[in-house]
Amino acid sequence: MISWLTEPFSFAFMQRALVASVIVGVVCAIIGCYIVLRSMAFLGDALAHSILPGVAVAYLVGVNLLAGALVAGLLVAIGISFVSRAGTIKEDTAIGIFFAAALALGVVLISTMRTYAVDLTHVLFGNVLGVTNADLWFSGGLAIVVLALVLFLYKKLLVVSFDAILGRTLGLNIHGLRTGLFLMLAATIVVALRTVGVALVAAMLVTPPAAAYLLTRRLPVMMLVSAAIGVISSVAGLYASYYLNVSSGGAIVLVATLIFVVAFLFAPRDGIVWRLRRRTASVRG
Amino acid sequence: MNRPWMIVVLVVAVAALAVATGFVAAGCGSAGDTGSGPQGALSAGAPSVIAETSFLADIAQNVAGDRLQVSSIAPIGSDPHSFEPTPQDAAKVAKADAVVMNSPGFEPPIDKLISGAGSKDLLVIDASAGLPGAQTDPHFWLDPTKVITYVDNIRAGFTKLDPDGADTYATNAAAYQQRLKELDGWIADRVATIPVSRRLLVTNHESFGRFAARYGFTVVGTILPSAETEAAPSAEGLVNLVKAIKASGAPAIFLETGNSPDLAEQLAREAGIKVITDLYTHSLGPGAMTYIDMMRWNVNHIVEALT
Amino acid sequence: MREVPDERRGPTVSDCLELREVTVRYGARPALDSVSLAVPQGAQIAIVGPNGAGKSTLFKALVGLLPIASGEMLLHGQPRGQYKQPIAYVPQREEVDWRFPVTVFDVVAMGRYGQGRWLKRLTAADRASIQQGLEQLDIADLAHRPIGELSGGQQQRVFLARALAQEPHLLLLDEPFTGVDVSTREATLDLLDGLRSRLVTVLVSTHDLDLAARRFDQVVLLNHRLICAGTPQEVFTEENLQQAFSGQMVVVDGRIIVVDQCCCGGEKEDRR
Repeated sequence: MISWLTEPFSFAFMQRALVASVIVGVVCAIIGCYIVLRSMAFLGDALAHSILPGVAVAYLVGVNLLAGALVAGLLVAIGISFVSRAGTIKEDTAIGIFFAAALALGVVLISTMRTYAVDLTHVLFGNVLGVTNADLWFSGGLAIVVLALVLFLYKKLLVVSFDAILGRTLGLNIHGLRTGLFLMLAATIVVALRTVGVALVAAMLVTPPAAAYLLTRRLPVMMLVSAAIGVISSVAGLYASYYLNVSSGGAIVLVATLIFVVAFLFAPRDGIVWRLRRRTASVRG
Repeated sequence: MNRPWMIVVLVVAVAALAVATGFVAAGCGSAGDTGSGPQGALSAGAPSVIAETSFLADIAQNVAGDRLQVSSIAPIGSDPHSFEPTPQDAAKVAKADAVVMNSPGFEPPIDKLISGAGSKDLLVIDASAGLPGAQTDPHFWLDPTKVITYVDNIRAGFTKLDPDGADTYATNAAAYQQRLKELDGWIADRVATIPVSRRLLVTNHESFGRFAARYGFTVVGTILPSAETEAAPSAEGLVNLVKAIKASGAPAIFLETGNSPDLAEQLAREAGIKVITDLYTHSLGPGAMTYIDMMRWNVNHIVEALT
Repeated sequence: MREVPDERRGPTVSDCLELREVTVRYGARPALDSVSLAVPQGAQIAIVGPNGAGKSTLFKALVGLLPIASGEMLLHGQPRGQYKQPIAYVPQREEVDWRFPVTVFDVVAMGRYGQGRWLKRLTAADRASIQQGLEQLDIADLAHRPIGELSGGQQQRVFLARALAQEPHLLLLDEPFTGVDVSTREATLDLLDGLRSRLVTVLVSTHDLDLAARRFDQVVLLNHRLICAGTPQEVFTEENLQQAFSGQMVVVDGRIIVVDQCCCGGEKEDRR
């Protein structure tokens, strides 16, 4: 039995995959709580694809591709925040606009490259099985910074996310905080992308928080549960991918989704199963 | 109010247990950065060698003979551009002592896998080392005379890996290079049967440049403007391609297995020519299970379409 | 409380709030048109007027949610932008996500956040203040319930408790009596009574002219412009009401009846 548990992690790459997916899982799960509560779920996927022009420009200019990606991600984040600031254009509309524009710009820029070029986006979209120690330091460092910021700004972000009017009354810079949140998100996404790939990042930003939302009633608890689900998904997903010989990133996402489905069905009070039982009980009663 | 805390405690406990088990296991397994399996010099059994693609594996196996076992990372029939590795693939990389690559940096998904999962002592054999122009077009292998250089590089790499086998590798390499020369001659003969005016290639992306240069073909154009798979053809580009096809009289568009035929079929209809869809360029395939067979297959299809 | 005449008066310490020719615009139209007003500390004022008269606009401008097109707003002699003391504002309808994972306690606790307190944990004084607010609004037993599980009236009380927890100098309540249950209404009125002794300046906007006349010493009648400010006797004249409510007013048997198209379309009588 023990060997069944230990065998996958006798490989260094699996150990690194575990650490990477746990780090990314925890950070994404916590930042993801804001994403889910502010209805910005497709921001993760959008930002991940929006970095394409940054990568193209970086390639053309000859600078580090990751730096280009980061700059593009930050610019898009700022742009979205600015356009939706006044409230006329909603956040998800702004996201859609910038996502499409950035992607199109990237494609146009790439089409100008007439010579052979390495598949640029694939350079950035990592795979959890290909994590190096450098990647771990990078993403670990970023995780610490982001989590520290979340802790530091916790009350301010809470007020701004829940009741912006109160925030104004209390003297908060609403727009500044919102932009700050988007920037934290962009940085998280770009670094996590490189470590574990697109599918995993976008999913870990949304699915564990969504499951946690169904299971908890207070934000701090929601964040904790979300992070825990992220960790469990990573561990279980890696085991499953090893023994079933399937993509690790995909397996992790599916485990997270499975947890969500279970939560959706069986959450205390809100789960579908309980609601149906209440309904039949009241019909009978 | 107890409820949420119970859930949290439960979830965290399970998570902690799982992670702890994983790390204890890692600690109990072989320590450090090297993964399990024989490292560096020959210990129990022959060194294990992997290759990026199936055709590279075949070429390398011919040099290795019986001394080494070469397996491919990307399975037969898969497109290395969109390869999605599993832990078993990574385990193969982790256990390998040497990897044969076409041109490091060429295939990001596989490069990543190798840099991430490969051990510190992994020997990287760059098959196209010394060949000029790898940055613009690394598709050297479609020209057998370039593969002769591949063989030299592989032989050097194997010798470094397993010095005792130096003579064997030299012999195998020489023998294979002879076969490559024969292949080259055979191709030239086959191409000679195509009327000069019809030695025209229209392909999916710029993979046939070396082949064309060697055997006197003209690449009329490609659907994708570069070898960049994200590149989308522009409308103007496609129109120009159609014009070029008509002007040159190119008889066919050649696609590789796995390419989407839609765009090509549109163009072919527009230009009034046919589409050939089953060339093997990035991988071996059914009916073409060795590199030499792969080249024969491709050349036969090309010749058939153009004569 | 008096209207400020055109010649400038120096601010006096007893004035909590002073407006001088304040104009606030929505696009081109003035929502508030040259309003001048002085409110002493500790006063409880009812702001009345028809729908769209600018009552909410006044409050929003006071807390800085809307820009002032012209004129000056002074709080304790300082321009609004520089005033740092807490102003508590309870809008008519809270635009919050009711499914946000916060409990009643969490929401009231937000009232304790503010200048310099964003990083500290809640102190004993904070908790006492929160508890007091909860008890005063009679929602202490709901402290740990998620905010989405409460009724409308209970939710209103949570936001009132939060406003109290801010320990404000100035409290703005926008239509707190509209659309709430009786117990919430009573709790709010009790709250206002309790605040008299604490010298908190309170501005309450309401449609209920009757309530304004009965429970408030001072009333401000607005319809974009300031129509009249003073005691209910001074303000609720037929002439003033006619000016404010124009088409919505009718005189029957010497009684003035104002029919207001707010919310539930209720009738409000002003007995003379």
